[in-house]
Amino acid sequence: MSVRSRLERTLGAVERLQVLDGPGYQLEHGVALTYLLTGRFARPLQDLLHGVWLGHPLHPALVTVPVGSWTAALVLDGLDVTGRGGPGTGAAARTAVGVGVAGAVASAASGLTDWQHAHDGARRVGLVHAGLNSTALALYAWSFADRGRRRPGRARVTAAAGFALTLASSWLGGALSYRHGLGTDHADRSPEPRRFTPVLAESELVDGEAVGATVDGVPVVLVAQDGEVHAVGGTCPHQGAPLGEGWLHRGELVCPWHGSRFDLATGEPTQGPSTAPLPCFDVRRQDGRVEVRRRGNWRGPTATTTVEEASR
Amino acid sequence: MKADQVLIAHHDVLRGLLRQLTETTDDQTAERSRLRDELLRELEVHTQIEDELFYPAVRDVSPLLSLAHAEHRQIDDQLATVMRTAVDDPEFGTEVRMLSATLHHHTFEEEERMFPQSHALGDERLEQLGRQLQERQEELYRSGAMRLIVRLKRMTLRLV
Ligand code: FES
Ligand SMILES: [Fe+2]
Ligand SMILES: [Fe+2]
Repeated sequence: MSVRSRLERTLGAVERLQVLDGPGYQLEHGVALTYLLTGRFARPLQDLLHGVWLGHPLHPALVTVPVGSWTAALVLDGLDVTGRGGPGTGAAARTAVGVGVAGAVASAASGLTDWQHAHDGARRVGLVHAGLNSTALALYAWSFADRGRRRPGRARVTAAAGFALTLASSWLGGALSYRHGLGTDHADRSPEPRRFTPVLAESELVDGEAVGATVDGVPVVLVAQDGEVHAVGGTCPHQGAPLGEGWLHRGELVCPWHGSRFDLATGEPTQGPSTAPLPCFDVRRQDGRVEVRRRGNWRGPTATTTVEEASR
Repeated sequence: MKADQVLIAHHDVLRGLLRQLTETTDDQTAERSRLRDELLRELEVHTQIEDELFYPAVRDVSPLLSLAHAEHRQIDDQLATVMRTAVDDPEFGTEVRMLSATLHHHTFEEEERMFPQSHALGDERLEQLGRQLQERQEELYRSGAMRLIVRLKRMTLRLV
């Protein structure tokens, strides 16, 4: 059996581990309670860790700190073991392990915050990923302490074991991103419709309410508010919820699944878990009909703009 | 009563409380506090009977469990915001309307999608499940532990 199909099987087995659902929900309730106890800081704190300010998930960026530091520590340990180290190699390795531990704690906080909103198979894979990483973190913390206690032999063994676990766990993390699409942008980014296209009759708009529709196969949400009509994408960038089922709160569009909020004029998320903005559409009213056109912006690929210009 | 009918009846209670709460004005502080506390208790009972009995029972016939959990979480978070907002705060009404929209969406999801899926369990099983739900609901109304949880929740949410 090839490496790929072996890994594939493992992933499938983890995805089907329904026994993890009970403990998973317990853990989520714990995380939710912890955040609730921070009162009005709960939202800003979670948004910081999701990476709403960054425009994409913070977690994959943070994990480079522990993975990088621990790789450095592995190399330094290797030098010492093979007798090629210098007088400072041991101390350098200890520092690298320590920096990695600090980075891992921050990564765990952001990972856990993202994981709260994962569903089904992804939720189970995420839980195993978290379990493996926590074990690796514990091993490295132990290794760090041993380095202070002058137990270099045991410290190197625990660090090496932690490294192996980190690698295995990173594979699951990759599966979460690239297979399950956790943290990727689920909004519709096609360039359509490039020309003003009728969506619905003006009479179908309800003031202060989100109305879902489809135009050229693209889901959109129309909102009439304060005499203006806004049109944004109808698929939530976070995990693809139908935003036509969403509602308005303080003039912003709320996602029905995990409560991301979006500014209707700019499409920007004003609250996570979504880190990506919604696509926006230009709106015009023509003979009692509402027409929309994809708004050209810097996010669109250059080729699109050219075709768009040519076809107008 | 069948399981889905028991839950729909309780949804009506929740929706009714939210409607009453939305209709109050900023100077009806006592009424608002009373309705809010009642809502907190009813939501706690509702979540518990669904989590304990209904959701595990429909696990094999409905793919919507994760979504239902996510929506419960959103309701919970917004309820916390409502608990934190003073009853005479000008924002109170806005936060209650947000809670109402969140709850209405979730009950819609259950009543229009999940409950029809649950019919695959068959009438007999649904009747039996309905009885269990009602019994557990009664038990929770009388339970001292439940009263304590609700009181603790109310206190901590107002403190933070
Ligand atoms: S799908 Fe998760 S917030 Fe919209
Ligand atoms: Fe529910
Ligand atoms: Fe319900």
